[in-house]
Amino acid sequence: MRRLPAGGLIDRSQTLHFTFDGEMMTGHPGDTLASALLAGGRHLVARSLKYHRPRGIMSAGLEEPSAMVTVRDETGSTPNLKVTEVPLREGLQVSSQNALPSLEKDRAAALGLMGKTISAGFYYKTFMWPQGAWHQRFARLIRQAAGHGKVDPSPDPALYDKRRKSCDVLVIGSGPAGLSAAVTAAQSGATVILMEQDHVLGGSLLSSDATLQGLSAQDWAEDAEEALRVLSNVTVMPRTLAFGQYDHGLVQAVETLPEGSSCQAVFWKIRAKRILLAAGAIERPLVFPGNDRPGIMLAGAVRSYIRRFAVAPGRSAVVAVADPQERADTVAALREAGISIAADLPAGARLLATQGKRHLTGLAWRDAQGRKQRTPCDLLAMSAGWMPTAHLFAQMGERLSFSDQTQSLLPPETDGPLRPIGGARAVLDSADCIADGKAAAHQAMAELEMHKHLNLSRPSPAPASAEVFAAGKGKAFVDFQNDVTRDDVALAQREGYRDVELTKRYTTLGMGSDQGKTSWTNGVLEIAALSGREAAEIGHTTYRPPYSPVSLGALVGAGTGMQMTPILRTPFHSGFEKLGCVFQTSGDWLYSRYFPQPGETMAQAIEREARAVRSSLGCVDMSTLGKIDVQGSDALEFLSRLYCNNFAAIKPGRLRYALMLREDGYVFDDGTIACLGAEHFLVTATTANAGSVWRHMQKCAQVEWPELDVSLTDVSDHWASLAIAGPNARKLLEALGPDFEASRQAFPFAAVREGQLDGLPARVFSVSFSGELSYEINVPAGFAEALLARVMERGAEWNITPYGLETLDVLRIEKGHLSVGTEIDGRRTPGDLGMGGMVSKKKDFLGRALLQRPGLQAEGREQLVGLVPEDGSTIIPYAAHLSDSELDAKGCAATIGHLTAAIESPSLGHPIALGFLRDGRNRIGDVLWAHSPVAGASVRVRVTAPCFYDPEGERLHG
Amino acid sequence: MLLIPCPHCGLREESEFTYGGPCRDLPALDGQSDAGTWSQAFHMGKNPRGPLRELWYHSSGCEAWIEVTRDTASHEIIPGGQT
Repeated sequence: MRRLPAGGLIDRSQTLHFTFDGEMMTGHPGDTLASALLAGGRHLVARSLKYHRPRGIMSAGLEEPSAMVTVRDETGSTPNLKVTEVPLREGLQVSSQNALPSLEKDRAAALGLMGKTISAGFYYKTFMWPQGAWHQRFARLIRQAAGHGKVDPSPDPALYDKRRKSCDVLVIGSGPAGLSAAVTAAQSGATVILMEQDHVLGGSLLSSDATLQGLSAQDWAEDAEEALRVLSNVTVMPRTLAFGQYDHGLVQAVETLPEGSSCQAVFWKIRAKRILLAAGAIERPLVFPGNDRPGIMLAGAVRSYIRRFAVAPGRSAVVAVADPQERADTVAALREAGISIAADLPAGARLLATQGKRHLTGLAWRDAQGRKQRTPCDLLAMSAGWMPTAHLFAQMGERLSFSDQTQSLLPPETDGPLRPIGGARAVLDSADCIADGKAAAHQAMAELEMHKHLNLSRPSPAPASAEVFAAGKGKAFVDFQNDVTRDDVALAQREGYRDVELTKRYTTLGMGSDQGKTSWTNGVLEIAALSGREAAEIGHTTYRPPYSPVSLGALVGAGTGMQMTPILRTPFHSGFEKLGCVFQTSGDWLYSRYFPQPGETMAQAIEREARAVRSSLGCVDMSTLGKIDVQGSDALEFLSRLYCNNFAAIKPGRLRYALMLREDGYVFDDGTIACLGAEHFLVTATTANAGSVWRHMQKCAQVEWPELDVSLTDVSDHWASLAIAGPNARKLLEALGPDFEASRQAFPFAAVREGQLDGLPARVFSVSFSGELSYEINVPAGFAEALLARVMERGAEWNITPYGLETLDVLRIEKGHLSVGTEIDGRRTPGDLGMGGMVSKKKDFLGRALLQRPGLQAEGREQLVGLVPEDGSTIIPYAAHLSDSELDAKGCAATIGHLTAAIESPSLGHPIALGFLRDGRNRIGDVLWAHSPVAGASVRVRVTAPCFYDPEGERLHG
Repeated sequence: MLLIPCPHCGLREESEFTYGGPCRDLPALDGQSDAGTWSQAFHMGKNPRGPLRELWYHSSGCEAWIEVTRDTASHEIIPGGQT
């Protein structure tokens, strides 16, 4: 065991059990998976992506490139988790990835010996032929050999949620800078959110032995946390990863909830007036031959494992740390843990090679005098310096600039909402970070006019160490996750992929789940050294969210399955349920589809329903139509500008069918305009366009013609609308007891009556979509059940048959009536639809001018036609294309149109179809081909007028 | 995700709005303008890199159509801005 007897922020009174590749291991609350594995003496936890080299745990944070595992818990398994990011829990089953058959004996490790052969670009250069073989063979083999964990295909039973919050100041990170900034802002009265990705606050203070304001670093952090916890204007959010910055101060974050919570994770959208990014800095590895063996760790991670987790990650250590102060701190930490110092490499040392098969056993190096040394060791603590974690800053497109002074990419000064502080701008000393956090918070408070300007000076970024290490020749890894070596970067430069974006894509440097957190600066320095350019000229690739991988479940939140979109139900829904209705979704609506009788198929039900409407009486829900109430002294003028047909002479009590065009002259929607009074109209919009027509009318009223006196009210939801249709519709209307006269003369087609139906307040419109005598009875939505009950009861005399969307569609296709989305598909002029005569020549209206464009007026455009099978019986395949010719040997034929609807007509007793045909009206009577490669059918069809049933429209009047 | 200043509701999330495109000065419906005039106004909108007058519809709010001047490069909303 490597667990130290005392110290650390772990709870030794409790033992947690977990397995790694089936082996039982233990740890304590406060451990991460990484610290528990190291405490159990396990460094080798992974095999590398390409060469299958043994890899250990290099870091103690989200920057970890190598130590990725699959973790299984009660909700299933999650691949590619970094052992450093998973807090230890009882019962976790952890397994290694990319190792066949096992970590210790990986067959594919032989690949490591052929490193020269599978350098960058190997796949592009090698698997070029035979054509198609990449997809059929090579890709599969390579994917199996090179990869990470496997996705668990089973449904995720865990629950997720999304929430929003806003604040004055959001602080991301709870190290010395973050805590200091949060306390400063909170105590000045700002609303503050403090986010920390770790499950405890403190950041670097948790592994520091500094004395701050007379306190140990840990005590200072605890006091600061205490100061925040007592303030009601502060929200402290541990376990919350801020992964992206977006426009106008939006930060998105995922909070992972503690074990035992009902919800697994919450996706947060936080709006802040100022964002202080205190994400700290990431340590830069040394690039030297064999720098990837298990046992080689970042120096800061070594200190963290010793001081925070009370783990000795080795017995005999070599220290290779560039900065003298950090070197001394690392040596002190190693001594605290009783780890012997095998060597403390002096400046100018050249690291030549490492030994060890599955774990580091020794280091070969040369001192400044050129003497070669071999130092046995099982731990190497390395550091070339620190890199600010300014990712969230750079995500908004601002460039970081390489600073020779800090040897890292630094965020520039900015007046945007997000300000890097502390380590995120290369201020490294804890006391400096505290000062920086305070100064930045005061600056933010002053800008928000919550505090006077203090103009506190901000500490400067810490310069990089003047001392550097050199490296020998050999396989030196720059990017550990993607097995990108110094030679690969050199190859990319030689082959001309010199731009950083090209180098990245050619070598995969900086890709993967760690997005190059530990590798990018080394990559830039390598490119600079190879090309002789300044590092500052090289720049960086684009930073994009997420900063670190987040669970897709959290991004989706609760919106899965039936919770994905809201479901709208019409006022008749429960009444229809009692009638045995089968529903279907139509847009957001759950709409009645058909009403089967026992033992009936859908096709049988549709035929019965359609026959009932044609021969006697049916009823159908029309509540989903958009209904817009238009009032005002200019109401008629307003509508006249909106619709293309002329209805200037409309009188109260009458209604008109009307066609609305878009500004560009194409048909937008159709509906009816009912005149309820001289200055009062009710217009309908189709179900699909209810929202967009309302929006369009609002725009016209508010933006285009504000001078018109008109007020609009969307009353779609106010009214339940049930159409009764069929030859007996008038008899039923009269039986419902209207307080207005309902005779053919008194209440003709295309009229509206307001009154009562035996006490029920109602508006009745004599309009027809089915082609039969029909009344749309509107009652206030709350009376829907009462209306339906009366209609069913009184209608029983004529065997009233409720029908749904299927029959509605059959009836309208028989009549050649238009449907939005099929015939009105955004590409049709009134003329295309056979309604050119409706377009008024006496007035101006929206769409008139652009409808006059030559292309829209051209002869021979596609026009709506009807189609019947030439033999009178063959079913016309749905969505077929029309052609003058048979399919040729290749299965092709020149298309001259397509179908929009095809049914077997119950009323006519044979198949019929609607479609658009080039120059269609001049081709009535012609015989064409209807080809459907999908259905594998070609049918001879004869062109007809689009209206198949009662073309004179006599049945409308009863 | 922008924050859009609605004159009635204050600063609101972009997700409450429907985008209405750049402001267009459409010809009057007086029967005088031809397709060319309309096409120029309707189809040939400006697409500058920089401030642009736009319409936004507060669909999940007060249902007002509002004019907003937004810098298309930086997404900065320019208060009371004209281009």
